[in-house]
Amino acid sequence: MAQLFTPAATTLFRVAIVLTCLGIVAGGAMAYVWARSGSTWNVGKPAAQPIPFRHDLHSGSLGIDCRYCHSTVERAADAGMPSAQTCMSCHSQVWVGASVLEPVRSSFILGQPIEWASVHRLPDYAYFHHAVHVTEGVACETCHGRVDQMPKTVKTQTMSMGWCLDCHRNPVPHLRPREAVFEMGYEPHGKGLPEDVRAFYQEASRRLTSCNTCHR
Amino acid sequence: MGSEAQAVTSTVAEVPLSRRFGRIWWIALLASGALVLLLGYTLVSVTILGVGVWGVNIPFVWGFDLINYAWWIGIANGASLFAAILVLRRHDLRTAVNRFAEGVALFAVICAGIFPIFHLGRPWLFYWTFPYPATFEVWPQFRSTLTWDFWAISTHAIVTSLLWYVGLIPDLATLRDRARRKAVKRIYGVFALGWRGSVRDWAYHQRAYRLVAILVLPLILIMQSTVAFEFAVTLVPDWHETRQPLHFVATGLAQGLSIVLLVTVLLRWGLRLERYIDEGDIDLLGKLALASALVSGYLYLDEIVSALLADRSAQEATFNRMTGEYAGLYWTAIVYSILIPQLLWLKAARRSTIAGVFVGFSIGVGIWFDRYSIIVGGLQMDHLPSIWRTYSPTLAETGLFLGTVGLFAALLLLFVRFLPVISMFETRHDEHQEKSS
Repeated sequence: MAQLFTPAATTLFRVAIVLTCLGIVAGGAMAYVWARSGSTWNVGKPAAQPIPFRHDLHSGSLGIDCRYCHSTVERAADAGMPSAQTCMSCHSQVWVGASVLEPVRSSFILGQPIEWASVHRLPDYAYFHHAVHVTEGVACETCHGRVDQMPKTVKTQTMSMGWCLDCHRNPVPHLRPREAVFEMGYEPHGKGLPEDVRAFYQEASRRLTSCNTCHR
Repeated sequence: MGSEAQAVTSTVAEVPLSRRFGRIWWIALLASGALVLLLGYTLVSVTILGVGVWGVNIPFVWGFDLINYAWWIGIANGASLFAAILVLRRHDLRTAVNRFAEGVALFAVICAGIFPIFHLGRPWLFYWTFPYPATFEVWPQFRSTLTWDFWAISTHAIVTSLLWYVGLIPDLATLRDRARRKAVKRIYGVFALGWRGSVRDWAYHQRAYRLVAILVLPLILIMQSTVAFEFAVTLVPDWHETRQPLHFVATGLAQGLSIVLLVTVLLRWGLRLERYIDEGDIDLLGKLALASALVSGYLYLDEIVSALLADRSAQEATFNRMTGEYAGLYWTAIVYSILIPQLLWLKAARRSTIAGVFVGFSIGVGIWFDRYSIIVGGLQMDHLPSIWRTYSPTLAETGLFLGTVGLFAALLLLFVRFLPVISMFETRHDEHQEKSS
């Protein structure tokens, strides 16, 4: 009877076992890196918007306060998107006939909201409250980055649960005094905080990391 | 190799190597295949529509899913415990029923695994119960029964398949040598891991087989206790008892033995293996099933005694299970798993195929009703009277259960078709010894 396998088959089999094990380890390592890479979380990817709105122009060059458009950020869970009326408070005077502003004008006339594409949408089972963060010293910049330098609005952080927890477990190094919350490029963080605030967060991190703080 | 031993090998090896397998096999495979389709349908429906298609609701968050999980895992545990003990004791019965027992254990684990995964509601995220470095940076809740299920089932699947596979290696080599087509030879050859039948090979094999069998012993007790702890750690009056693990281990063993008995007598009759599984083997298996049924009976008595000694709420809950809305389940369990097996006191019953099928089936059914009674009947009288409701399974749940029965049958049928159902090397060994003595 002819040999079924050549003597090399044993070596081949052993090599295959080692390669399979290495492959599993390598696959795990790749999954680890992939799950943490910015592109997986759409960091830096702009969304297609109905109007080519520029934060760098409005917030950066013109210096309009964040709250002028995102008016409920200090009071509600949602930061609020500007209505067409808010846009028209300036654009009834400047860039009156510009074709790129056509959606704003038709929205103003028809009373239909502009359909912006969200860049920072969280899953529906995560409860996020803007006002709580902003009024307790978490700056716009901390999560949204240098919006005043963005021609197209993009995410600068992964917004993964781990990223949320990085701060919730030890908030103090990420906090600013209340008056600096809407500033851009403020440094350094965690300095100039009142002592009682620091003491409070030493204790509060336990409460900040319980499941139902964010999943209600 | 003597001519006698040659004959054993050829008959048993003939089955997986032949091209035809008869009409009954095809009909059985088609029937179980239809049930597997039903399984697929119910799984897709629960995945797409969610666990709302099941009859579960507060307080019955566990219904058919856990009943059937506990039932299948009991079969798996009983069958592998039995197989491991046979390997370690080098018992004669091992040659005849070990391979079945290992196969039954493996396929039951597969069926058991389906339920906890799909009762998650989002089954595609089942790996969240595994502690890996996730981007959400929290570990699974180690006090949760879900993570216990994960460890229990995965460990069980690994050890059971190891026991089954290690036992198969020499026989896979025989199949390789006897196969006619080159491609078939190569497939069996790869799985036989280059087995040559040298003394060195045999020494290693014996060591590996016994090592895995030793691993099975504590593992099975731990696994079955894990299932029991899922109930015992809750505050439900009827479940919160330290006797739960003992109850699950003992009744699980009875159940595993009964299914091994059922499958053995069926295959013995279907494949005409009377020569290899002789009357003595079947007789011994019947005695074991009877003994385990008696132990189960003792534990049912123990349940009543512990309830009498327990506090009022536990006592009421336990007796409610025996006399209340779900009393039928409890008494069915008693009749099927304790009373009917008493038939096996008769020698004629132990040796008859029909009685073997009947009793094996009845213990399996009885323990299923016992699990149903514990999980549903036990929950009925919880601490809060405002949640005293009833539970009944929906079609989606019944279909799922029937589907796993079909899957189990289909896997067994494929197993008898493609692999040697009786350990050829053990039988050869036995016959050699008989001849030399």
